[in-house]
Amino acid sequence: MARPPVSEERLAADFGPHLNYAPPEGVPGREEPDDIVETHCCFCGMQCGIKLLVKENRVVGFEPWEEFPFNEGRLCPKGVQRYLQDNHPDRLTRPMEARPGEGFVPVGWEHALDRTVQEIRRIQQQYGKQAFGMLSGVSLTNEKSYLVGKFARVALQTPNLDYNGRLCMVSAGAGNKKAFGMDRACNPWSDMTHAEVIMICGANVSETFPTLTHWVWTGRDNGAKLIVVDPRLTPIARTADLHLAIRPGRDSALYSAILRELIVHDWLDHDFIAQHTSGFEAAAEAVQDYTLDWAETVTGIPASKIAQAAEWWGAAKTSFLCHARGIEHQTKGVENVSACINLVLATGRIGRPYCGYGTITGQGNGQGGREHGHKTDQLPGNRDIENPEDRRFVADIWGIPEPELPHSGYTAYEMLEAIHRGEIKGLLSICFNPVVSLPNNNMVREALDKLEFYACIDFFLSETAHYADIVFAGSLQEEEDGTVTTAEGRVVRIRAAVRPPGEARRDTAILLELARRLGAGDKFAYETSEDIFNELRRASRGSRADYFGITYEKVEKNMGIFWPCPDLDHPGTPRLWEDRQFRTPDKRAHFVPVKYHDPGEVTDDEFDVILTTGRVVSQYLSGTQTRRIGRLVDQYPEPLLELHPALALRKKIADRELVRVVTRRGSAIFPAQIVETIREDTVFIPYHWPGKKSANQLTSGHLDPVSKIPEFKISACRLEPTGQTAPPPSETQAWRAT
Amino acid sequence: MIAPQFNTEMEFFMDPQRCIGCHACEMACAECETNGQLPMITVDYVKRATSPQTVMQICMHCEDPACAKVCPADAIVKDEFGVVMSANTSRCVGCSNCVLACPFGVPKKVELSDLMMKCNMCYDRTSVGKRPMCATVCPSGALWYGTREKLERLRPNSTPINTFVFGKQEVKTKVHYMMPKGSTKLVVD
Amino acid sequence: MLSSLQRNAYIAATASTLVLVLAIVVGSRRLQNFDPALVGYLFGTIFACFGIAYRFACWLQRPPTWRFFCRTGEILFSRRGPRLIGIIFSEAIQKLLLQRFILQRGKRRWIGHMTMAWGCLLGFAVTIPLTFGWIAFTLKQGTTSIYVANAFGFPVLQFPLHSFLAFLIFHVLDWASFAVIFGVGILMYRRITNPGLIATQTFRDDWLPLVLLMAIAVTGLGLTLDYERLKGSVHQFMAITHELTVILFLVWLPFGKLFHIVQRPMQVGVDLYRRLGAEGEQAVCPHTGEAYATAMHIEDLKTVTRQLGFDYTRADGSSHLDLSPRGKRAALARAHSKARQESGGYFG
Repeated sequence: MARPPVSEERLAADFGPHLNYAPPEGVPGREEPDDIVETHCCFCGMQCGIKLLVKENRVVGFEPWEEFPFNEGRLCPKGVQRYLQDNHPDRLTRPMEARPGEGFVPVGWEHALDRTVQEIRRIQQQYGKQAFGMLSGVSLTNEKSYLVGKFARVALQTPNLDYNGRLCMVSAGAGNKKAFGMDRACNPWSDMTHAEVIMICGANVSETFPTLTHWVWTGRDNGAKLIVVDPRLTPIARTADLHLAIRPGRDSALYSAILRELIVHDWLDHDFIAQHTSGFEAAAEAVQDYTLDWAETVTGIPASKIAQAAEWWGAAKTSFLCHARGIEHQTKGVENVSACINLVLATGRIGRPYCGYGTITGQGNGQGGREHGHKTDQLPGNRDIENPEDRRFVADIWGIPEPELPHSGYTAYEMLEAIHRGEIKGLLSICFNPVVSLPNNNMVREALDKLEFYACIDFFLSETAHYADIVFAGSLQEEEDGTVTTAEGRVVRIRAAVRPPGEARRDTAILLELARRLGAGDKFAYETSEDIFNELRRASRGSRADYFGITYEKVEKNMGIFWPCPDLDHPGTPRLWEDRQFRTPDKRAHFVPVKYHDPGEVTDDEFDVILTTGRVVSQYLSGTQTRRIGRLVDQYPEPLLELHPALALRKKIADRELVRVVTRRGSAIFPAQIVETIREDTVFIPYHWPGKKSANQLTSGHLDPVSKIPEFKISACRLEPTGQTAPPPSETQAWRAT
Repeated sequence: MIAPQFNTEMEFFMDPQRCIGCHACEMACAECETNGQLPMITVDYVKRATSPQTVMQICMHCEDPACAKVCPADAIVKDEFGVVMSANTSRCVGCSNCVLACPFGVPKKVELSDLMMKCNMCYDRTSVGKRPMCATVCPSGALWYGTREKLERLRPNSTPINTFVFGKQEVKTKVHYMMPKGSTKLVVD
Repeated sequence: MLSSLQRNAYIAATASTLVLVLAIVVGSRRLQNFDPALVGYLFGTIFACFGIAYRFACWLQRPPTWRFFCRTGEILFSRRGPRLIGIIFSEAIQKLLLQRFILQRGKRRWIGHMTMAWGCLLGFAVTIPLTFGWIAFTLKQGTTSIYVANAFGFPVLQFPLHSFLAFLIFHVLDWASFAVIFGVGILMYRRITNPGLIATQTFRDDWLPLVLLMAIAVTGLGLTLDYERLKGSVHQFMAITHELTVILFLVWLPFGKLFHIVQRPMQVGVDLYRRLGAEGEQAVCPHTGEAYATAMHIEDLKTVTRQLGFDYTRADGSSHLDLSPRGKRAALARAHSKARQESGGYFG
């Protein structure tokens, strides 16, 4: 029985979200801290350096870390307020067990661990090993990511392990592997400094990666032209030289038309194409019908603007192209990425200073987390779980016979579907809140209801943890040592600033103890996080994500090391491909032919408006952390339905009117915010909120066939004005909606 | 009493066109020791219905501060470094003259405590040679604190100006705005 | 040459001082009740009177102050005046007596300030009339144990020498001292622990008043200690240091932080001004479309700023001051945005 033991309203009352504010005179102790810890922000993939102020085992404030090279002290509001997740009234400090009718009752560690191990054994004996699944997340350090991967395969022995990176950038990873044979942003962000053109494709940089703005602006100060592709006029698009307001879900049409323009005008680097790439002809052939006029019809962007973008891109000597969830969260996410990479390869602007390309990874350890093995089809070092050689290599390091190593299982959304079908009966999760973050979350809730046993490791009682039978009180990022890999491929050091409060334990300690009780203790004999990292180094040696030459000491001394770093004397590789030795079998970069196709769901008479989702600057992902911090909540207290005045007029919707948004999956009510900064055929809702305020009740479960990323960015919806005006934002308490 | 250690080579420069409206400055300002948890910087949308344009405003520290002049209680003073200090708490009577007379719309009236408060350029930080919180965390360089020489290198096509025209009034300030190359002043209205 | 402002101030100061001297002479029954031991204090007080009156007159003549002063007068003497008495009374209690606005800034701070302020005022209430000879204590004729308190030469109270009342009355300055020491202690502690205060405070404006008050209170208690426990052995030292600190305090009073004691009642006037403005027309910001101040306040400020040498009049005859603070910030952003656009690019 995995369903909330008491009403969700009561759980919200007991476990929050409650809003944490600093007292009026500031948190006591920050003026004379015991310790100032140089570490990194726990939120997005930028992993900004920050100093945490510690007093008596409490984080009491922060100080900008101006020496750290990427952000030089710069932070976004989430970074500034991150310290308030410490000393939070909602913090879980003891293991708990769900008792129907009673709620979550504190229990001893012994009981919580025993029961979990018993249930794992029971389910696996009754239904088979694969009937117990595990879900993980990439806010975890490299060490924990590696540990989870090994734990699931060696201790749980299940193929069904996947992670929330599946909702993040897996399309980019797959696209990069196809093109380059390796998955990492090819350049450090500082390569934007002298790029002549910066093209940002489906990335709301100013709200989701605010500190990256600095590098974009630096490029512009030096004369770069900025092209932004986004259905909305985001803050970064407002001053752009060219804003291409694309119809959601039509991205590959745009990039294909630009490629055609490059070919037609011969804005190509023929030498580079001939010497270092393959597949150009097929890619060219694929786009030959994609004229500007066709692209205008499909994308809704005037042909003249597309031509302008192509001309700037074609004529530039240096450039930087980056993309994010806008093009990746699609059923053709991988194709969109390939179409972008084709533009980079056609002009040969890669592997040189100020010639850059990369995805902007969203989650804290989106980069490192996707390399080291809690992805179902992958082993550490970005190795392929179906490749016999990779399997043998890792099995040897883990000390198990290769045949015992599980194969690939379900991806995240598919795993929930499998639970819904009754194939998977038990679940262990860490660092993942699918009830808020997965699409079509009404299905997700139903699925969790059907689990026979669900154990969850978390520091707050997330909306997903409401469904757990056992909740383990785990650790915050600042409570455990480790490393993460930033979106630019820089491995940086996360330092334990404080110990977990009360009886809470470090995530690692919990996993190690479970492994021991599952009889795999000998395979998990680590004393420190560094021990795990050292094993990870060996496991990644010679792989396509080679960390072998990286040590804690080197990371600390250099404020980060860029992988690949194959041996101890190697300084790391900030810029990839300077040697033109791509990691594909033929050592060439691959053009991938891209044929356009429509998104998984298109508008029709019944559902006539495109719904797209995204984020706001003050919240992070499913909001488990940021919906608990007062000032961040106050900045954007409730999700709003952004729509254009022309659409509002047509649908007779007034500003702040409550509008029911209906899709094939469900419906939800949001206050209207009428703005001219969005396309007329599109509405936008940010997704950080739970319960009735969750945008993901509406989104579709269509997946990219290659990467299995859900198509969050496009749904067909209908708008039904209710005639009521929304109450003031502060009264909705959307942050704790049920 | 710590003798102020201002680094007089460091100056404050603003460029609202770079602002992305993230409010990091505002949250960081609340971490500054001189104003408790009350942020002294403001960030607002210019007109959200038509544009995501935002504007952030700190005290410009006028050479001839109107706020100080219109104060009926002599509560606002400018120090030797040109920093116009927040209202003297023992004098301020909460009349709001400064709030309404400041041409930049900076001072804030804290109604409950009948007191005006305003940005004093992170006096606790700048007076010991540190950079102000807002400008240190600003991810977009809309708020920037450093030497003029470095700024000119970083932003070759802009000119810092510190003359503003409001109606017939010309106002000179300690804080600069970044303007197109060759500009000498910003005419507001 | 004196400016007219200074001349007015001198006249006011001289007149006030003369009135005070006259009041002393009359009140002490032609110095009959005057205690010669207090002559140092007397001259200090007279000087303080001159200084305060001078400073007050200068202050009052500043355009913004004068504007509020006149407006308060207008309000009080208008038809509305009489029904405002209740409000004035309650505001005075809230703001001056209870200092509630300080409570909002911090509880400990309020406790510190209240005890310090009321300790001081109690001290003044006793010492000034004593110094002026307005109050004098005499033995009731024909007794050796009944004291009579005389105000302006008239007996107002009598009590036995060894009564509890006598104990309270004779030690009233000690009680005041204890209050001051307690309050000043709290405020000093704040000033050495609060980083924001540490950064912005100055010795002259923030520490000197606290140090002086502490010195006065401690030496005052020293006098009591001396005659109760030390049999007068250190009387001279205590008397002189006490007198010196008090005189220093009095001389400095008009120029330093403590002048706010005289200024503070203005807060009640400001409150009246706002209440009446709220009943009248409101200034609506053309940018936000919302009322942001009273129309009277904005019009007054336009006058005051002109008097002070600022002219925010725009070409169309309107004023920059017609904008709310938010409207002004938006105007600035728009002007900047326009200048950037006209130059061909936002960046560089």
